[in-house]
Amino acid sequence: MKRAMLLFALPAVIPAQDLLKQGEAVFSKSCATGYCHGARGANSGAPRLAARDFDQDFINNTVIRGVAGTAMPAFGATLSRADLTAVVAYVGSLNGLTISTRIDRGPSAARLSGDAARGRDLFSDAVRSFGRCSTCHEIGGVGIPVATPIAKVPTDAAALKTLATPQVSTVILGGESMPALVVGKKANAALFYDLATPPPVLRTEAPGSIQTREGSTWRHAAVIGSYNDAELSAILSYLRTVVKP
Amino acid sequence: MRFPAFLLLALSVVSGQDGGVTRADWPHYGGTQFSWRYSGLDQVNTSNVKNLLPAWIFQTGDYTENLGSTPIVADGVMYLISASARVFALDAAKGTVIWQYRYPTPRPGIAGSHSDFIQNRGVAVGDGKVFFGTKDNFVVALDQKTGREIWKVSVDDPKQCGCNITAAPLVVKDKVIVGGNGGDQAHRGYLTAFYTKTGQVAWRWYVVPAPGEKGNETWKGDSWRFGGGSPWLTGSFDPDLNLVYWGTGNAAADFYDADRVASGTSKSRDVNLYTASVVALDADTGKLRWHFQEVPDDVWDFDSSYEVLLMDRQVRGQMRKLLVHMNKSGLTFVLDRATGEYLSSFNVPELYNWITGVTENGTLVGRNEPEMGKTKNFCPSAAGAKSWNSMAYSPRTGYLYTPTNEICTDITPNDTKPTEGRFFMNGDFPMKLPPNRTSYSHVDAWDPVTGKRIWSVPYKFVLLSSMLATGGDLVFTGDPEGNFFALDARGGNKLWSFQTGAGHRGGAISYSVNGRQFIAVSTGWQQTVVGGAALGIFPEENFRTGSTLVVFALPEGSR
Repeated sequence: MKRAMLLFALPAVIPAQDLLKQGEAVFSKSCATGYCHGARGANSGAPRLAARDFDQDFINNTVIRGVAGTAMPAFGATLSRADLTAVVAYVGSLNGLTISTRIDRGPSAARLSGDAARGRDLFSDAVRSFGRCSTCHEIGGVGIPVATPIAKVPTDAAALKTLATPQVSTVILGGESMPALVVGKKANAALFYDLATPPPVLRTEAPGSIQTREGSTWRHAAVIGSYNDAELSAILSYLRTVVKP
Repeated sequence: MRFPAFLLLALSVVSGQDGGVTRADWPHYGGTQFSWRYSGLDQVNTSNVKNLLPAWIFQTGDYTENLGSTPIVADGVMYLISASARVFALDAAKGTVIWQYRYPTPRPGIAGSHSDFIQNRGVAVGDGKVFFGTKDNFVVALDQKTGREIWKVSVDDPKQCGCNITAAPLVVKDKVIVGGNGGDQAHRGYLTAFYTKTGQVAWRWYVVPAPGEKGNETWKGDSWRFGGGSPWLTGSFDPDLNLVYWGTGNAAADFYDADRVASGTSKSRDVNLYTASVVALDADTGKLRWHFQEVPDDVWDFDSSYEVLLMDRQVRGQMRKLLVHMNKSGLTFVLDRATGEYLSSFNVPELYNWITGVTENGTLVGRNEPEMGKTKNFCPSAAGAKSWNSMAYSPRTGYLYTPTNEICTDITPNDTKPTEGRFFMNGDFPMKLPPNRTSYSHVDAWDPVTGKRIWSVPYKFVLLSSMLATGGDLVFTGDPEGNFFALDARGGNKLWSFQTGAGHRGGAISYSVNGRQFIAVSTGWQQTVVGGAALGIFPEENFRTGSTLVVFALPEGSR
């Protein structure tokens, strides 16, 4: 489906100065950062944005959809509608334009609290390197989708450790055998994740070259050893809030 | 004329070391694992270079960004990767496609982070496979003969780290070692080694040590978690010592240190280890053998990720195993590569105000640092006295060839708190042209042992393409205006130039097929990061983008 351009009127309650102030704040966090456009769009690594005679439509489209094939991302997917309105107005002001009254929609972020929030951080905790859940599981766009989406959340840490994993089989390849998640067969190739040690390696072999046996020595408990039981409980409470049966 | 091989060796200033010289093939990113970017081929030389003409041209068709990668050549086949990871195996004599592979659309990263940048600096070839890293942090192995995917493994999650892989991997024995980007962000950098056969992780080495590991005490509080240091380029390997050498990135935050350095810390040595350092790792285990930190408490984004040149030279009457390494500041260190002992250093840029000098034991003195609430002008800039494009080294002349830029920057630091995977530079740093100059870069020849500049050729804009030195006593590089040119390696005279149609941000290699020497150069000006910054500081110019490999040779029958 082709995405329609949605138009919104600027809420009359926000004074222009406040909007530009908010826009400048968004700009300094999202656009002036790092090797990108620099403060006030004056250019660090990406093109200068100030005084370029950009028109409002161009700014609007570029902010929301990004520039395909360049480092300019589509902020329509990541900034809130209010922030988009503000930053478009701000970039417009750098180009001598008065405030925009048109803006596309952006999704709002889900909010978590307490144990679930801690669980979310633990789920993808970088300090655990390949020992984190997100090495194999994707939730809400974070993590590598090796395993199929989590459909049922185990009741507690003990259940998480003794999780039955019948989908993991044993692949025998040229005299070696390894625990594997077979994910599909192309016309001329067998695809499987080699689970010998994390992270999983997606391997492609000729179908005739591998043998598959049901069952494996692989255990979920062995790959979640970087977490203690309290941490696993927090992760489970996070999963309960985001996994809808 | 062509010099016989024995004469070549006799002319060499180096005896007993051949490990840095490429011949028919160009097997590694830096030529060999010693990273000299030196081809021993001499069919094209100072007297006939004027006859060089294009032999074939290859357009990748991938115009998302420029072509900045270094090709690999093995047994008459060239392996080339484009910015968005289209990989080509080409007949290296004719340019015809043997196979091609297209990496699928990468998983999205964090908008407004390193994970946005579309760039790939090269593949590695070994064990019958072609390896590369991706924008969404996968390492992929293709069958060298067919281009079929053999294995693919995720190194990190771009949605979380905001990081990506742009460096060419380095094949070392049965492993392929990959560095990553992301050290300007709230991220903790690392190197990861994979078994070439299976893709399984062999080892991972974190630049920033965790609590309980030596070096963690050089970080204030929890700052080690987001300490940066990503080794974002390609290292070197000495098979005799079994050591892998890598340069590490800047500490994060880049321009503000109060949250990562405890007050009262001496900045003379070892602050925020092992950022802005050269490290030697055991090739089999990834264990740190020694380190030398070039910029303790880096507050200028002078990361030390650049190429590491390994060479054996006489120093004070004694043959030494050396390592020569420049960081972004242009300060170039000469170390003993077996022990990490500091031997000497020299400063390549003409303009510098971040330090006043270096002591006899390698300690920086007269540090001039960014200050909160102020905007201060620093030279060189965070774009680098040299950018990531490599220098070259010729064993015939004994000189290093460096493309050096004289660009400064206004740094205004701030104390923004980190968010994982987001930029964590804590400063604004627009590039500034220094006053009272008409040229802003130069190609130099330096003797790394004496630290003396032998010759220097100025250029009006910036130079962001790697150097190639050859056995024909030539030095090749390209400029943003599209000129690809050859200089006399001994005197710096320009001997030849060819307009390739687009700016140069990659680099050249040389190889031969059936006795014919080729010189291949990637073209197309980079639109983001340093190439983009150059467009900003020279707003009247139109450095042209593109994605084309241009391959030169002497005309058939004229040799």
